[in-house]
Amino acid sequence: MGRERREVGILGERLALEFLQKKGYRLKCKNFRTPFGELDIVARHGSSMVFIEVRTRTTSSLGPPLQSVTRVKQAHIIKNALFYLKRYGGIDSYWRIDVISVKLSYDRILENIEHIENAVEDIY
Amino acid sequence: MIAKIYSSCVLGIDAYEVTVESDIGGGLPAFNIVGLPDTAIRESRDRIKAAIRNSGFSFPPRKVTINLAPAYIKKEGATYDLPIALSVLLCEGVIEEADLKEYIFCGELSLDGRLKPIKGALAIALGLKAMDKDKFVLPEQNAREAAAVKDIEVYPARSLKEVVDFMNKKVAIRRELSSGDQLLRRNSKYRTDFRDVKGQEHVKRGLEVAAAGGHNVLLIGPPGSGKSMLAKRLPTILSEMTIEESLEISKIHSVAGLVMSNKVLVGTRPFRSPHHTISDAALVGGGTNPSPGEISLSHNGVLFLDELPEFKKNVLEVLRQPMEEGSVTIARVANTFTYPAKFMLIAAMNPCPCGYFTDPKRECHCSPLQIQNYLSRISGPLLDRIDIHLEVPRLKLEHLTDKRRGEPSETIRKRVDKARSTQGSRYRNDGVYFNSRLESDQLEKYCTLDKESEELLKLAILELGISARAYDKLLKVSRTIADLDGKETIEAHHISEAISYRSLDRNLRG
Repeated sequence: MGRERREVGILGERLALEFLQKKGYRLKCKNFRTPFGELDIVARHGSSMVFIEVRTRTTSSLGPPLQSVTRVKQAHIIKNALFYLKRYGGIDSYWRIDVISVKLSYDRILENIEHIENAVEDIY
Repeated sequence: MIAKIYSSCVLGIDAYEVTVESDIGGGLPAFNIVGLPDTAIRESRDRIKAAIRNSGFSFPPRKVTINLAPAYIKKEGATYDLPIALSVLLCEGVIEEADLKEYIFCGELSLDGRLKPIKGALAIALGLKAMDKDKFVLPEQNAREAAAVKDIEVYPARSLKEVVDFMNKKVAIRRELSSGDQLLRRNSKYRTDFRDVKGQEHVKRGLEVAAAGGHNVLLIGPPGSGKSMLAKRLPTILSEMTIEESLEISKIHSVAGLVMSNKVLVGTRPFRSPHHTISDAALVGGGTNPSPGEISLSHNGVLFLDELPEFKKNVLEVLRQPMEEGSVTIARVANTFTYPAKFMLIAAMNPCPCGYFTDPKRECHCSPLQIQNYLSRISGPLLDRIDIHLEVPRLKLEHLTDKRRGEPSETIRKRVDKARSTQGSRYRNDGVYFNSRLESDQLEKYCTLDKESEELLKLAILELGISARAYDKLLKVSRTIADLDGKETIEAHHISEAISYRSLDRNLRG
């Protein structure tokens, strides 16, 4: 069961990446590991560095994928992003966090991709 | 690059300049406001974002920082919505820079970008000159209030988009023009008149004297004798307000949130009648960003304290300084505020605890000790500032049913005005306006008595035991009575009338 979920996740990330590249995003890094977690996709778009969190779902009964990015998760993503920026530079440059939600049918066929830019703002 | 838009905050009753700076930088996108904003302002971030988007502009996906300078003054309220939105748009280059330095912007924003009214618009308009600005953009509902002020340009706006287009010279906004004098004249009718009062000629005369010389009054009488009715009509015989006086009062009322949209300039002298359970803060002013108290709300008007002995002693104590200086100073940790409080005091009380001591018809059930205690509940210092005591007797039956009406206020006011202008020219170089404000040395100079009156005064001191303090008051009131009579020298009948207004002195002696 766990393996199935992981496979679905990996498929979703691949589809998300294709989607972004078609939009002109340049991939910097995939599945970047940090001591606090993982960043799904790190890409460059124009002058901004974009950190993308990918959410994949096969059925909609568990709620829209975007809902699963809770406040806690948001804080983690920020932490991970800051770690990357500290290592590779650019903390004060323009960067943001996007969320891509991938909806697959039960037999793993792409139904919908939604891209939310600037999904996570500074929690003050 | 930093963008600056100028707005204003009201501290106490005066307006100060607030600079709304915005900076757009890198880092995780955010929208932060600093400069001691209160909760309403912190909440405004969502309002402003929605308003900007719904006006057809985009909110920058960047780290946006707004600073409300100066940083050490607490900012309150939603008046900063418009200037903050404009500051962000200016920083983005959506608005052109030209001549923004001459403008003050204020307004609350709705989610759809429309402007909503603010409080204190008149106070801000009055402060524009001191801020070196002469153009005021504000919600159209507040425009008439602000336009009463001379020498500034008032631009009423309906929405954020309209303001942006106006600043970019794509759209014109017609200046709000209103004549302060016209507004004043339109609002200057009193609803009450001395004509409505039957009988009580002695009291009416006493109030006429009080109005002419600016003397404070104490009305003493049984319940139902008409004390409140008479007090309410005192403003109708005071001189007409000048536009400067009206602006002063309207500013105070505007800050207190009392200005009605159709009556932006107060045209009739205020009459405030607080209940005797009032607290000291509500009477003289208080709170964190102190709101004006009843004494400031009755500035240039009348403060009526009905049931004077029922007021808490400590509350009456705080009246002393304002009555002396015509203003009240309230100290807070960060600031000291001084509010004007030049009012005429009229107080009313019963002659004894049951109320019927002087009534010819009803029995009084109070013991002499009770009466003594009751009368002494009014502090000495407060009594010291009341020049005229008037006994208000119960109306006789024939007066009640008399169909004839009394003298109208207008006639009485003409006499009052004449006496006031006499005082005005007499004290032109002395910094005093009324006889009631004369100091002891000035008394000697201006109150010349003829031989008869000197004799009468001597008698009064001996026989009636008039104290030195009361002596001064007698002179002041006689001076006013003589002015009403058109005489420069005080004559005996002026003195004797003034003596009749010192009934409490006589009663307290038993």
